[in-house]
Amino acid sequence: MAIHRHKSHFLSCICLLLLSTAGFAHIVPPEEFHPMAESYRRLAFMVNLNPVLWDEVKKDTDAIAHELGHINSEMALSYSASVDHVFMEVEAEIQVSLATPAMRKKASRALFAHSTHAISTAIDELLNLAKIDIDEPEKSGGYLATARKIWSAYEHELKYSDPSAYFNLGQAWLDASSALGSPGLFGAGTIPTDIERFNTALTTIQEFNTVHFGETFSPAEKGWMYPLPFNSPTFDGLADIPTKLPPGSNMNKQLPRPRQILGMVERGVDESETPLIALGDLAFDSSYIFGEPARSLLISCNTCHNKGTTNPKFFIPGLSTHSGGLDVSSSFFKPAANNGHFDPLDSPDLRGIRFTAPYGRNARFASLREFVRNVIVNEFNGPEPDPMLMDGIIAYMNEFDFLPNSSLNRDGTLNENASAAAMAGEEIFNKTFETMNNKSCASCHIPNNHFLDRQSHDIGTVGGTTPYSLDRALDTPTLLSVKNTPPYMHDGRFATLTEVVEWFNVEYSLELKKKEQEELVAYLNTIGDGEESFEDTMYTLEAEMEEFSFFLSSYELALEAGKLDMAGAIFQTITTEIHAHKWDVQDQKYIPVLNEMADLMDSAYMAILGNDVDTANEHVATYREMYAANAENLK
Amino acid sequence: MKHLALITLTLLTAFASVGYAHADSNEIRIAFIAYQNPEQVIEDVKPVIAYLEKETGMKVKYNVATNYTGIVEALRNKTADMGFMGPLQYVMAHHYAGATPILGEVYQGKPEYVSRIFVRKDSGIKTIQDLKAKSIAFTDPISSSGYLYPLELFRSSGLVKKDASEFFKRTYFAGGDEQAIRAVLNGFVDAAGIGQFAYNLLRPEERSEIITIADSAPLPSHCVVLREGFSPSMAKKLKKALLALNEGPNKHLLQNLYGVDGYVPVTNETYAGVEKVARSHGLLR
Repeated sequence: MAIHRHKSHFLSCICLLLLSTAGFAHIVPPEEFHPMAESYRRLAFMVNLNPVLWDEVKKDTDAIAHELGHINSEMALSYSASVDHVFMEVEAEIQVSLATPAMRKKASRALFAHSTHAISTAIDELLNLAKIDIDEPEKSGGYLATARKIWSAYEHELKYSDPSAYFNLGQAWLDASSALGSPGLFGAGTIPTDIERFNTALTTIQEFNTVHFGETFSPAEKGWMYPLPFNSPTFDGLADIPTKLPPGSNMNKQLPRPRQILGMVERGVDESETPLIALGDLAFDSSYIFGEPARSLLISCNTCHNKGTTNPKFFIPGLSTHSGGLDVSSSFFKPAANNGHFDPLDSPDLRGIRFTAPYGRNARFASLREFVRNVIVNEFNGPEPDPMLMDGIIAYMNEFDFLPNSSLNRDGTLNENASAAAMAGEEIFNKTFETMNNKSCASCHIPNNHFLDRQSHDIGTVGGTTPYSLDRALDTPTLLSVKNTPPYMHDGRFATLTEVVEWFNVEYSLELKKKEQEELVAYLNTIGDGEESFEDTMYTLEAEMEEFSFFLSSYELALEAGKLDMAGAIFQTITTEIHAHKWDVQDQKYIPVLNEMADLMDSAYMAILGNDVDTANEHVATYREMYAANAENLK
Repeated sequence: MKHLALITLTLLTAFASVGYAHADSNEIRIAFIAYQNPEQVIEDVKPVIAYLEKETGMKVKYNVATNYTGIVEALRNKTADMGFMGPLQYVMAHHYAGATPILGEVYQGKPEYVSRIFVRKDSGIKTIQDLKAKSIAFTDPISSSGYLYPLELFRSSGLVKKDASEFFKRTYFAGGDEQAIRAVLNGFVDAAGIGQFAYNLLRPEERSEIITIADSAPLPSHCVVLREGFSPSMAKKLKKALLALNEGPNKHLLQNLYGVDGYVPVTNETYAGVEKVARSHGLLR
């Protein structure tokens, strides 16, 4: 019976298939873990950060204890006591001052070690139960299947650091599953349980698990802490372990896609004649302008600013408090540029960016170029960008336009298309309040200046370093497009505009009645709306392929400038992007065509590496021919 | 193991709450299969049950089983009238318990699919002949797509006469499509012989590492099966109601029925090929 428990035939495939390949552009379902493995992997990520969000980590230690309690309550209590002791020590120190680096490291290491031990305990205990209940193969198989799922807690690291052990243990799990046999059906197809093979396989797993991840496990003293089998004879201490984001991370972009307006496209300019903008577009979508780990994680500007707007789904545990935001000055992407404190920011909409200087939520950069360079180099660990590449990115971003809004006059006042409620809201928006220092909302969000004043103000949303510190001001954001770009405020604390209005009403004692608040929200939703705010299709490959073609129009520009490195990055980016998007194709028989196009770009890259421009040119020409011949099917 | 106990209890509760063993003349009892999360299936099928009750005028009761044995046994001992199952389970249920199929599922526009032999792209393995003395993972001995049909590829080529162990160094039953294809991806085995859709269980970035070296003959997709002796008039109503989901205002309910595109009418003849293969493996005595 055991094998039947976790069979997944046609139907189960269907369910997952819907998630993965229904043609709904580039949505990658989250990797599924057993709750215990999920918490462990998230915890293992978060305790490596600086600062550590202890409260968040505690949620995962609690979840591990809860799951362990299902398996062995005594062991769960012991685990809880161990980690609670660590948390108490941390709390005691934080009450005196900030946790010192030594204290933080000590506590992180202890939590990591205790939790790794808890995982190994759960696996060991379940495999013991599987052995005990082998006379009931279905029950035994249930224990085995759960243990196998929990094993995924440290499988990724094992795969890269000790391939030999990983292979042997992978076979042992298969052996165990196979040895359970089959009950058959109607007495036919029965395969008896092979108890000896089963026990041998389980013992192999248990020994490795207990020896390397059991009570004596201790994480590395320096660098990122991984669950690694340090004492295994086949362990490779120099192995490169690909970075994985923790469970709960989401880099999928919103669908349907937000509508992006590029000024030159709106004017009907032929995109093939704007190669610098094309280069900027490519760079905006390219993880190659960043360094590790962003590059390997395929993070680009477009990840958080999808189509030049926002990405309300983006989330990384330990680095985000709300979807759509990130602590960009953390220890993860560039440890050296860590500012040492947790200050996640909501990713702003970049529409109309040329009208919204200064840049950064706290107005820290006067010029867009300075700001973008900082994002590349200090936030995402990229190399110093080539000046022409920077020119391209800025040229591209300067084409980002606000959405047209048929309810707005050019001076920012509402016209007759607006609702009565919005009109009433407009009056409130322009009304001065004594409690706001005789200012109105419009004093800072100036309607005839794109609803901003290009200044920074302390409105009471930032906690300063000391009671009288003057470090709380934030840049006034535009309210254009605000309807479709939640969450709100610099840290994304509010999910709706209603909450924003409520906050101002309370914070500034505006004494707005419920109806007035609703009118103000109606006004914000009107000025913050835009025509056709989203694309009308869920299928995005066609648009992506067109964009890759646009990217490629910057190749000749790079050649003329003698920048072969840049040409190589253009090819690498297109190769990566085709592979990332190819599964969105509605007819999968065109996957080989897309593979071939990606291979052509890869070959062009290899040719450029060897300074063989002629061969690269040939590959580029072939790519363009293939695209012309297949464009109508690549959607 | 409270967690497992909880699931078992939930299922038992579902059995109990529907008064499962007592059917009356205007009542139908349906057995659904759950692969991963029985609680989710219980939630998913609720609107389907409401729809069927409205369309057929019959009281519909249901349970959710975590394996096919439970469904097939329920049809045999007449504690369920209708069940969802794979083609091999149907053929065996027909042979041993007189069950009949009414509808086949349509997926990606087709009421059939194939099994495939998957290998790693970098393995150098190009044909099934190259798999001699290598290892292979199937899903389950009682599976058409995950064992019998892929094994037929080797039998029809003369590589295997009776037992897979004649040709392969090691044969595994991984327990599921995902476990089998991941075993190939991670290099634990040289090949997997499983249903074509297993490929889509890999994450997009993993798929490029896997290739197909052979396709089996097509096999009919999973089906909706009735127990022996079930009222023909009630069967007709059920069939009509489910077929009506193919088009029209209730099409969205197909998402709750394992996400199929729709249904097509089938008969026992539809499964003649599966029956032949099952017989050759000694599963129909």
